[in-house]
Amino acid sequence: MKLRMPEMPPATLLAALGSYNLLPAIVFLPTRRRCDEAASEAALSRRQEADQRREARRDFMRGFVELHPEIRKHRHWDVIIRGGVASHHAGHMPAWKLVIEKLMSAGMLDAIFATATVAAGVDFPARTVVVTVADRRSPSGWQSLSASELQQMTGRAGRRGKDRVGFIIAAPGPHQNPQSIVNLLNAPPDDLESQFRATYTSLLNLLDAFKSFAQVRDIAEQSFAHRELLPRMHQLEQTRAQKEQEIRDALQKAQVNLPLTALRGFERLAASRERMLEFSPHTRYEMFMDWLRKVVQPGRVVGIGRSGRRLALVTARSPDGVNAVREDGRTASFPLERIGRVFAPIFSTHPEQVDNAFAEIHDRGKSVALPEPRLRDTRAEEEDAIRLINNLIDEFTITANSQDKARELLWSLQPRAAEIERCERQIDALRADVWRPFEQCARVLDYFGYLDFARQQVTERGRWLADLHVDRPLLAGESLERGLFKDLDVRRAAALVAAMTADEDRDYGEIELEDDVVSLLVQFEQVAFDVSTEEWNQGITAEAEINFSAAAAAAHWAAGAEWAALVRESHSDEGDLVRLFSRTGEALLQIAGLRETHAQAAQLAARTAEIVLREPVR
Amino acid sequence: MRRSRDDHRGRRPHRPRDDRRDERAKPAHTHDDRGIPAGTGNYGRELRNLLSGIGAPKPEPFKPDPFQLEALAALEFEDVLVTAPTGSGKTWIAREEIRRLLAAGKRAWYTTPLKALTNSKYAEFAEEFGAKQVGILTGDRKENSQAPLIVGTTEIYRNQLFDALRGGEQVQADLVVLDEAHYLADEDRGHVWEEAIILTPPRIRLLLLSATIGNAGEFAGWIAEVRGVNCGVVTRPGARPVPLRAAFIMPDKRLIPLVDHGKLNPEIAGMIEEQDRQRGRGERGKWGKGRGSRY
Repeated sequence: MKLRMPEMPPATLLAALGSYNLLPAIVFLPTRRRCDEAASEAALSRRQEADQRREARRDFMRGFVELHPEIRKHRHWDVIIRGGVASHHAGHMPAWKLVIEKLMSAGMLDAIFATATVAAGVDFPARTVVVTVADRRSPSGWQSLSASELQQMTGRAGRRGKDRVGFIIAAPGPHQNPQSIVNLLNAPPDDLESQFRATYTSLLNLLDAFKSFAQVRDIAEQSFAHRELLPRMHQLEQTRAQKEQEIRDALQKAQVNLPLTALRGFERLAASRERMLEFSPHTRYEMFMDWLRKVVQPGRVVGIGRSGRRLALVTARSPDGVNAVREDGRTASFPLERIGRVFAPIFSTHPEQVDNAFAEIHDRGKSVALPEPRLRDTRAEEEDAIRLINNLIDEFTITANSQDKARELLWSLQPRAAEIERCERQIDALRADVWRPFEQCARVLDYFGYLDFARQQVTERGRWLADLHVDRPLLAGESLERGLFKDLDVRRAAALVAAMTADEDRDYGEIELEDDVVSLLVQFEQVAFDVSTEEWNQGITAEAEINFSAAAAAAHWAAGAEWAALVRESHSDEGDLVRLFSRTGEALLQIAGLRETHAQAAQLAARTAEIVLREPVR
Repeated sequence: MRRSRDDHRGRRPHRPRDDRRDERAKPAHTHDDRGIPAGTGNYGRELRNLLSGIGAPKPEPFKPDPFQLEALAALEFEDVLVTAPTGSGKTWIAREEIRRLLAAGKRAWYTTPLKALTNSKYAEFAEEFGAKQVGILTGDRKENSQAPLIVGTTEIYRNQLFDALRGGEQVQADLVVLDEAHYLADEDRGHVWEEAIILTPPRIRLLLLSATIGNAGEFAGWIAEVRGVNCGVVTRPGARPVPLRAAFIMPDKRLIPLVDHGKLNPEIAGMIEEQDRQRGRGERGKWGKGRGSRY
């Protein structure tokens, strides 16, 4: 049901919407580039039209420049003022986005071309929302919109107090799918799904606060992800307690002097006896079939029928049957159970060799027949074990006052003891699922000395790491511990922190890295390697690679590069650079907070943060 | 020539079958440039229906919605989860409750998932309650952090909870508002919301503002379970504050309803089928070019 139509030219689309009185509109487009192009194209054909709001827009934006000078040089300045349209997406600077939001709210724009990111967070409604794609771009490729995402978009349609009706308009486009838009509009809202996970920061903080793994686990067990866990565990615990009480009551009533633990031991013995009986064959037939399954294989000659006198050479086996060649050369297939005898030698199944095989068997006869198993032999071992268990079971009852009565009672209570056992196993399994990721984190932290696993304690080192609220605390912690911040200038400090902060998959161009930055990053790569190796050892998906281009961009920025030049050289969208530096700055501020334990690094980080967070960043 | 013949043939399947409807279809291609149908035929009525009521409502003095009042009333004795679409006035509830608390000399925390949102809420509240009453805490901004009302990112609030637990102190708040609480489902950061909910002491009232979600009852039930305080659910009935209509804009700029009796408008479905058929024959239909001109 995909609609493989070309997109409507933006100017045409806006003219059409205008003709139906459907402006202002937010037009959702799949990529940042399409948004920028659409705004420029639309503005080009609209600049001739009469629009009294042009002066108002110019005044408004000039007023805004006083606060945020960086927007004056924006290449879309004219697009907005003369065209009355704008492009809005994560590639733009925060200040630029803000001015667009304000213009839109003030009714000074006719249209915004936006990517889906605008749908979340910022609040600027319009009369109409235009959707051109039923898919959205995500880090893992194109994905179909979810009901919630479409709901976020349609949530912008219709301004409270300004519109009596809001519109969602599906427009043609190569990835448009009107059917799926209809489905999504009709769909109930998505359920809220938990994304709860173990992090180093949470683990360190919780352990330091509560002083034991058990209490940290209690917190983890309360997460929304495990919301079904608590009632289930509660129920299992109740069942267990109830069965325990029943057993105690029965023992007391019968005046059998046995503790509960004895009964549970008895249950274990009984259960293992049962398992053994289950796996040992009960009849000669079962035992004989087990044997045939094992010994009948291609190349062996078998005797068919009870007497086993008619011979056949097995050519292939299925679980319970064989394909074979008979002495007269005809092929046959028959079930295993028709076999009465099996001969030991293994022959070639090649058609020309078949006669030799039969000749040899006739020659040597019964002497090469495999001995059939005897029932007594196979059962002997198991029976020994079972006898042993039976003796132990008797021991239990001997300690009690009246043997026969006690034995009877124990067997009658055994199902209840089994239930207790089952409840405990399930509780353990449920708890292990919740706790495992935290235990993995704890072992990694233990390896690097931030946590003492055996004593369930956060170490001195772990205490300051708990205060370091950055995305990858271990990388920061290890860099600090190994003295990577020692004797750095702000340029290298910015590069180092950018490398540990940046998304691995965003590219910031090929700005040249100075030698001293390279050698610092090589040291940092070793830190990252050591950390991810230990994470891998503990079963944690190792963290991504470090981002050299981000480090280069940050080094240049900290060294005083000019914004416009840096944007050009890094081939980056301004918004992406602002985000990189702002996250770098925030991480630096976190390190700057470690005045007591890392005075020198903290001081350096504070100085660097101030430089990195200069205008237009923040 | 060939293309035009194919296109012509191609129109037939989704052309309305009976004659009456056929007439209905034609005038739609002759509407003037302003898009308002020139004819007075049935199609004109369909478009008129689609667009009826468009425009601004009469200005009315602000009157809170019943769901807003319901949420405020519930907050007096329990935690509250409000689910309503954007723009339907969830913030109003938080603002009124904060106003009441500040007047009583109490303190509140207002968390948002985004720095931009935090900044705009800070500006909004500073204007509403006076700059002295409001502080802001984000990763790179810390102003007036002792103010009775703190606006900040959810991460910073969660970090304060950690600090309080480790230091054996109390978080200074009587109310915590978690705006955009559906961020709990965010892959990277969602766990922070859960930690915030689990670790907020039960003595602090929680107000969660969320987009519409499918399992609001389950969510509130969980909050009540982990906090030991009842959590009411207040949902805006009728879902949207401004009604929504769905339309499809045809390549010839005609506007038609997207939905017909709950299903995809058959005219659109027919157009797609026809397009797929042409594609199957190796003919690429040039739908983008004015179809109206062929009539």
